[in-house]
Amino acid sequence: MELIINIFLGILGVYFLIGFLFALYFSFKGANKIDPLMTDTKKKVRFLLFSGIVATWPFLIAKVFKSNTSQL
Amino acid sequence: MGLDYQLVLWNKHKKTYDKIIVLSMLLYIILFAVVTLVFNSETSIETLIIRAFGTLAIIMLHIILVIGPLCRLNSRFLPILYNRRHLGVSMFIAALIHGGFSIFQFHALGDVNPIYSIFTSNMDYGSLINFPFQVLGFLALLILFVMASTSHDFFLANLSAKVWKRLHMMVYFAYTLIIAHVFLGAFQQETSPFTIGVLILGFIVIASLHITTAFKERKIDRAKNEEKEGWLKVCNISEIDEDRAKIFTVDNERVAIFKYDRKLSAIHNVCKHQGGPLGEGKIIDGCITCPWHGYQYLPSNGQSPPPFTEKVSTYELKLEGTTVYINPKAFDEGTEVTPCKY
Repeated sequence: MELIINIFLGILGVYFLIGFLFALYFSFKGANKIDPLMTDTKKKVRFLLFSGIVATWPFLIAKVFKSNTSQL
Repeated sequence: MGLDYQLVLWNKHKKTYDKIIVLSMLLYIILFAVVTLVFNSETSIETLIIRAFGTLAIIMLHIILVIGPLCRLNSRFLPILYNRRHLGVSMFIAALIHGGFSIFQFHALGDVNPIYSIFTSNMDYGSLINFPFQVLGFLALLILFVMASTSHDFFLANLSAKVWKRLHMMVYFAYTLIIAHVFLGAFQQETSPFTIGVLILGFIVIASLHITTAFKERKIDRAKNEEKEGWLKVCNISEIDEDRAKIFTVDNERVAIFKYDRKLSAIHNVCKHQGGPLGEGKIIDGCITCPWHGYQYLPSNGQSPPPFTEKVSTYELKLEGTTVYINPKAFDEGTEVTPCKY
């Protein structure tokens, strides 16, 4: 059981660590690429979105990649 | 709907609802503290906070879960629905305070990582009675965190309505975890018949309201419309209230027929924003207004007024006397259809 707990918490930790790093980039730069409404969005709103970006980074990273591919 | 994202989309009504939420939460905490201290003066401040915010979060979760079905059964509850997201975030804050203080009091004072301690301080996972109930609360808190942190319109727009809805339907899983967390906690710490009784009553109310709503909607979906030369007879014009709609199922799709300014128009019932039931909304300033978050569409073409770009399918209607008929073939989203005049 301890092994399962270690694996689960390890995955959870890595998930949130990647999410945190991605959110640092996405909140202030990446979001502008996928959503034109973000261009004029204020900093305090970007801070508000931070935790949600950490939580849902796999969906958002896919969208950023798609937007980069379509721009090529 | 806006040209940039705002911190919170407040209007006069939403501010009033938020004040009511905050005042109600404060009142509950004060009442809980007074009653606890009167009947059990030895309760520590940490325990008091943990219990007050825990019970508050559960009560708020029950209210959140009954809002949807209540609105489907009676449109007078709709104003509460408009503020459900703020209620959800407030509930998460209450749950976070409960969880934060619990972790601090029971897991943060040793030399083991507090999160690791939640999962390993009691390893009796094989026992039903002695199951580590705090793990269930932690997992429920994680789900509530995902929901609260993605409640902003940015996530609705960028995760897609489908993904966003699926994430937020996890509230039912969180509710199950919370019920198990409280039941097992109550058994292991102090068996309070009152707590268990209230939880069972809450579950019965939530389940019965959802079942009643499901039956009501099934009735709409199963209703058979009489066909006449490719047109389906739907209702008499007097059955639709002014500036409101009646919902019908046509070709396995729900359609809302709106009556306004001596005209009738039909559009697909599902809002592009978050799948809200447009037919449960009303015409405001000449636009069909979604009851969930106020997204608007023009009745004649199903398009959001410029500069917005949302579109829904439209349908052709005809009148024979006072009987309304619909062509079951949907037009492409945003197609202009001349309203049926009466």
